[in-house]
Amino acid sequence: MSLAITFIFCVILARLLYVQVAWGAELKLKAVDQWNREIPVIAARGRILDRNGKVIAGNINTYSVFLRPSAVDNVDRTTEIIGELFNVDRNYLSEKINAGKISEITVARQQNKETVEKLVKFNLPGVYYARDNMRNYAYGDALCQVIGFTASDGTGVSGIEKFYDGLLGGTNGEITYSTDIVGIQTEKSKIVYQEAVAGCDIKLTIDMDIQLAAENAMKSVYNSSSAKSVSCIVLDPQNFDVLAMVNYPSYNLNEVPRNDSELLNSLSRNGLVSNIYEPGSTFKVITAAANIQEHIDGNPNAFSNSYVFNGSRSRTVDGTKIKCWSDHSNGKHSNQTLADALNNSCNPCFSDIALALGGKTFYEYLYKFGFGNVTGLDFNGEALGMLVPSTAIRDCDLARIGFGQTVAVTGIQLACAVAAAVNGGNYYAPRLLKSVSSPNGGNVEENAVIFKNKAIGTKASEILAEMLEGVVKDGSGKHAYIDGYRVGGKTGTAQKYEDGRVAQGKYVSSFVGFFPANKPQYLALVIVDEPQGTYYGSAVAAPVAKEIFEDIILLKNIKRFV
Amino acid sequence: MKFDLLNNRRKAGDIPLLICVFLMACFGCLMIYSASSYTAEVLYGDSLYFVKKQIIGVILGTIAMIAMSFLPYEKLAKVRIPLVAIACLLLVAVFIPGIGVSNYGATRWIGFGSFTVQPSEIAKYSFALFAAGYFSKNYKKVKTFKGIFPVLAVGMLICVLIIAEPNMSITMCVGLLMLGLIFLSGTSLKTFALMLVPFALAVPLLIILEPYRLQRLSAFIEPWASPKGEGYQLIQSLYALGNGGFFGTGLFNSTQKYRFLPFAESDFILAIMGEELGFLGLLIFFAFCLFIILRGIKIARNCKDRFGFLLASGFTLVYGIQVAINALVVSGAIPPTGLPLPLISSGNTSLIITMASMGVLFNVSRSN
Repeated sequence: MSLAITFIFCVILARLLYVQVAWGAELKLKAVDQWNREIPVIAARGRILDRNGKVIAGNINTYSVFLRPSAVDNVDRTTEIIGELFNVDRNYLSEKINAGKISEITVARQQNKETVEKLVKFNLPGVYYARDNMRNYAYGDALCQVIGFTASDGTGVSGIEKFYDGLLGGTNGEITYSTDIVGIQTEKSKIVYQEAVAGCDIKLTIDMDIQLAAENAMKSVYNSSSAKSVSCIVLDPQNFDVLAMVNYPSYNLNEVPRNDSELLNSLSRNGLVSNIYEPGSTFKVITAAANIQEHIDGNPNAFSNSYVFNGSRSRTVDGTKIKCWSDHSNGKHSNQTLADALNNSCNPCFSDIALALGGKTFYEYLYKFGFGNVTGLDFNGEALGMLVPSTAIRDCDLARIGFGQTVAVTGIQLACAVAAAVNGGNYYAPRLLKSVSSPNGGNVEENAVIFKNKAIGTKASEILAEMLEGVVKDGSGKHAYIDGYRVGGKTGTAQKYEDGRVAQGKYVSSFVGFFPANKPQYLALVIVDEPQGTYYGSAVAAPVAKEIFEDIILLKNIKRFV
Repeated sequence: MKFDLLNNRRKAGDIPLLICVFLMACFGCLMIYSASSYTAEVLYGDSLYFVKKQIIGVILGTIAMIAMSFLPYEKLAKVRIPLVAIACLLLVAVFIPGIGVSNYGATRWIGFGSFTVQPSEIAKYSFALFAAGYFSKNYKKVKTFKGIFPVLAVGMLICVLIIAEPNMSITMCVGLLMLGLIFLSGTSLKTFALMLVPFALAVPLLIILEPYRLQRLSAFIEPWASPKGEGYQLIQSLYALGNGGFFGTGLFNSTQKYRFLPFAESDFILAIMGEELGFLGLLIFFAFCLFIILRGIKIARNCKDRFGFLLASGFTLVYGIQVAINALVVSGAIPPTGLPLPLISSGNTSLIITMASMGVLFNVSRSN
């Protein structure tokens, strides 16, 4: 009998030995999970600065206030104090507290320090607060599509905030402490604090002064032309730093219309990067560049700069008639050299060039100028543009591409291509990020300029730039002329297509300009989508570029070139 | 001179047993304090809530134990029938609305104001007394099935009443006790085997009647399949034991007592003991339990009359069965059921009656 009982006890002890000693470590590991609570310590998000160190996106320290119903001792007192401090309905709070089941109530978010300090003085059991970072955008709606915004948890959702989230985001820390089953800190609790690592500050290539000047100019043309939308890029042609990028209409980054996702989608889209359009005559810059370079290289099919083009209004290619926008009456568009053709923006001359060079050669230049590919801008959602495949190209397509039809590009593509055409022929990868500084501000790492390829030679580029200076001085770009500053440029007016047909009365008016022509420092592409009334790029877009250039001259205190 | 410890007719009795029982009850208070102070503070605003109750239980239990030590156990034989009848009535009373008190989905208590009594605790001992009395009086008939039938009938009745509460574990306890007592009565093996048949049939029947038992069974086999549901209790118990390891976290250093482990001060106090005192602590604790049981067996063996033998065996069995089942439940060796750890768990009915039964054991020891 005693033996039997002793045996039973041995079984029990063996079982306990197994559970406590053999299995113990594993059980304890599982149990630790339920014993501890973590409060996240939000890492400070890195700031976004412009190239001169102006803060575009910064942080305001705010606090979230939480309530753990199970730990509240006096519901009346708690709801009274909290209700008053944070302007929350008392009845709503007490209902939530008394309902049970909810382990944590978020009382208020984004509260300022003063209010939270008041709360701390009351020392209410069951009331907690945690710091969270509220993003603050110093310029409101300026540059909004480029900067983008963050979700309520602080992660980047669009724009630079998203693209460089990894740099900006930092690493959240954690406060760990042991609690009872409902989350009340126990008296023997050890508090483990793991510090948050702040995100890096990043410096953009954007110059906020130029950006604001461009914003103003674009806003006024948006209003005066009643356009559907307007956009503008200002580029440093020497290294393709994006100095300004405007898309209008825009929205205020501090009041993101999160509730209307359709509106938000359209307003937050960086059209210069993601939208494509038929460039029209601004594209002639590229055709001209190809011709000049080919002529220098001794291609017999290329036209010399003194060659006089056929003055007829139209060309018949593959049985289709391609006409100039001008009627060529009364001696208009007659006896034109390449420079004259650019001045007049005469379509058939550029068809002649494209056809004379032939698809293979012409496409080589299109590729060198970055068409049919992304530019590599550090931004999400860049469109490729549309280029008829070189293998499927017909002459009638080629003839049209010569003057910017039957081809679709993004704003950034065209700006970069023109910049490469006039800067000596160097194509760089455009960039928005200038440098990254480590959280403590010490280490600054510059984002290297990436040279991609030579598009044309220096000489061809110089000749072209001079011709384009002529366009502004004497030709269709004269509304962009600024005395003493050697502005060059090209206008563009393209009809829009809808469902494969020309949409009557719908145009994209544009102007791409730069100065000074001999060594371009600033390049601006202005696009006005569907202006009402006057629609010629020369009348609508060129004056805006002039306005922007004049502002830049003032801002940078640039002396006249004599 | 009947109530005189130094009565010539009787010997001094097993004083170490009484001391051990008393110390164990005091140790119980300590463990209850450790296991319940936090929960009591949160729920009742008084960290001593459970301990205070238990101390009253220890005082009353000690009085009852001493009283029973002086009361010649032979006299108990005379009250066996009224006692078992009262026990049954109390078990029935549990179901009378207004008297019965429900808790955790079972009606197991009857209330007298703020004080509640668990009749099933009384029934266990009444039944042991009844069976001992009956068998000693009818020892010539016990070889036949007819001879053991009254004990079987009363045992079954009590089982049915307790299972209806429902309280599976005490039913098991009474069932095992009945088997043990019938075996000890000197019945023939054939009769004993015959009697086992209805027991074997009862198990599937009980599962069919109350499907939640099947859930408990599956939760027992794979507790992590429903960590928030059926498996919760067992998981928390295992966490406590695992956290304790070999040497324990030290007295008052349990983490599971922060309301993670339900019934930490009552049915699962052994888990908290395992957590704070470790395997080593439990080893020592079970040594004391074994001491009580072996003392009980020795007292029964040395008793010259049949009633004393069966009574001492029965009471020792009740204690031993409960300790064993409780330990097996807490360590996850058998499915979870609600059964207190005698002398330790919070709950006065169990404590007072267990201590009283130990008084009876002592009284039997004195007659040897």
